[in-house]
Amino acid sequence: MRLLVVEDDRDLNRQLVKAFEQAGYAVDEAFDGEEGEFLGETEPYDAVVLDIGLPGKDGVAVLEAWRKAGRKMPVLVLTARDRWSEKVQAFDAGADDYVTKPFHLEEVLARLRALVRRASGHASSDLVCGPVRIDTRTSRVSVNDVTIKLTSLEYRLISYLMHHAGRVVSRTELVEHLYDQDFDRDSNTIEVFVGRLRKKLGVDAIRTIRGLGYVLEPPGTGVTPSASAG
Amino acid sequence: MARRFSIATRLFVSAAVWSIAILVVAGFVLSTIQRRVTERSFDERLQVYVQTMAANIAVRNENNVIDPFGLGDPRFSLPLSGWYWQVTRSDVDPPDITTSISLFGGRLPRIEEVTMTANGKDPSEGYVTGPDERRLRMLERSLEMPDGAKYLVQIAANSEEIETNVESFRWAMTVSFALLALALGVTTAFQVRFGLLPLARLSNAIGAIRRGATDRIDGRYPDDLAPLASEVNLLIDANREILERARTQVGNLAHALKTPLSVLVNEAANDDTSLAGKVREQTTLMRDQVNWYLDRARAAARAGSIGIVSDVEPVIRGLERAFLKIYADKALAFEIAVPEDLKFRGERQDLEEMIGNLMDNAAKWADRAVRISGRLMTEETQRVLIEIEIDDDGPGLPPETRADVIKRGRRLDESKPGSGLGLSIVADLASLYGGSLALDVAEIGGLRVRLRLPGV
Repeated sequence: MRLLVVEDDRDLNRQLVKAFEQAGYAVDEAFDGEEGEFLGETEPYDAVVLDIGLPGKDGVAVLEAWRKAGRKMPVLVLTARDRWSEKVQAFDAGADDYVTKPFHLEEVLARLRALVRRASGHASSDLVCGPVRIDTRTSRVSVNDVTIKLTSLEYRLISYLMHHAGRVVSRTELVEHLYDQDFDRDSNTIEVFVGRLRKKLGVDAIRTIRGLGYVLEPPGTGVTPSASAG
Repeated sequence: MARRFSIATRLFVSAAVWSIAILVVAGFVLSTIQRRVTERSFDERLQVYVQTMAANIAVRNENNVIDPFGLGDPRFSLPLSGWYWQVTRSDVDPPDITTSISLFGGRLPRIEEVTMTANGKDPSEGYVTGPDERRLRMLERSLEMPDGAKYLVQIAANSEEIETNVESFRWAMTVSFALLALALGVTTAFQVRFGLLPLARLSNAIGAIRRGATDRIDGRYPDDLAPLASEVNLLIDANREILERARTQVGNLAHALKTPLSVLVNEAANDDTSLAGKVREQTTLMRDQVNWYLDRARAAARAGSIGIVSDVEPVIRGLERAFLKIYADKALAFEIAVPEDLKFRGERQDLEEMIGNLMDNAAKWADRAVRISGRLMTEETQRVLIEIEIDDDGPGLPPETRADVIKRGRRLDESKPGSGLGLSIVADLASLYGGSLALDVAEIGGLRVRLRLPGV
């Protein structure tokens, strides 16, 4: 899961990025409207945290530009202007939720998780695929009710696959959603991570679809139409 | 002048006073002229007798007796007829006086102040009191015969004819001048009304702005009023601009303070030192204070807004779009029955703030449905009000706590943050507009919030 934080206040930006990283997300940051708009238009984020009061291009304009360009990722708006007229404006520009400053980071995290979950079509904060279960509120991963200890990157990987369970996810897509933009990307490392994750899960939930990528399915479910299991 | 009369009254009264003064003066002048003319024509008739008498004197017989019938008018022979003559020979002592029979043994007095004309030959004329105490118009003329005899000829006649003439003229004039004054009064009143019509129109336009029926003065005004109309428009714009600026500044202040507050809150959140505890405590206090004063500043900026009208329905639709996203997990159904032409007399932002808070509350507590209805209503005072009811199917409130929940800062349930505060802000705002907020039981089971606001 990869996020973008657009906030001009350096301290607040740092706090947000830190909190999201601790919660297991890959995070990019931007400090003004132009930079934020560019990143949001070019990188595939799973969610964006956008401050409305930005220097240069304000948050509403950035949001409108994204939606106009067809970017559909969920956007959580941060605003100090807590009047409904401003909130309605933000929602009409394409925001999916808002948090009013000053806020507690836990609230932003909770709203963000809900946005990401809803965007991938899940109603509950518990994601379940056969014996594998993720509680997105606590970032706890369990298999047959036994908690598994995962590294941050492993958690991002299983979380992304769980959010898109049943769909084939390419390696490139995984790279884009697991690493922030400063990371030296190498799609070959994905294979290593998937291998480690399979070992830790202990159940055959992640299948390799040769030439296409990976799919998360409950173990023992049918053969995918495109290829045989690897 | 302490009292202020209307311009119409001033114009009308001053026009009336001047008209009457001019008519009165004109009446006097005309009446005087008419009297002169009447007297002159009367005098001309007397003058004929004076000349006849002079001729008689010239051809008098050797006894110096003047022919008593010589004037050929029987009125001089009827006793006390009002027509008299008297000839006095003054160069003998005692003077020899001959009179008409009509004088009946009496004598004609002299005109008191003899006004001689420049050459001294013309007869002087004037009024005297005759033997029967009647006023007489009299002509006097001195004659000097070639033989040295000096005569004073006096012809007098009752002045009643002159007076009657003058009197009837005065009467006719007074009546016609009174009618003229009346006509002038009516036309003046009409003129004043017509002349002041643009002013009345302007005053209506300003009234309409204050009522909120329109937001500026439109239409063409005469050259002397057009600057005033455009000044009023500029004033309204300036007023709006100041409000807008104040609002922007308040928003900027909010942003400027709240972002650093967020940083402090978050920095202190994961720290167990006593300093962090103090920071947590004080930042909470600061946040509440900032919110409280921002609300007050907004309220102050609001007080001056005039002539602004906002549509209700688009505001509710906009909020509905927002709440469908905010409460996406609840799958709420918003049922909205608000007429499209429902208008609120006030700022759209304030309406959004009030309905936003109420809808937020309703959505927070609702199980599945939030029902919003709006209607136009009229109070006994004829003030136009709109009523907006927001119902939810949540748990509702017991009657005894309904009044408390509106009061500032009282939160009935800490598990749903801000519920009490939101309602109190709405109540404050509504009363600022002269509206009201009331709580009741909704037909669908939960709380009904009834918001009444000035409408158009």
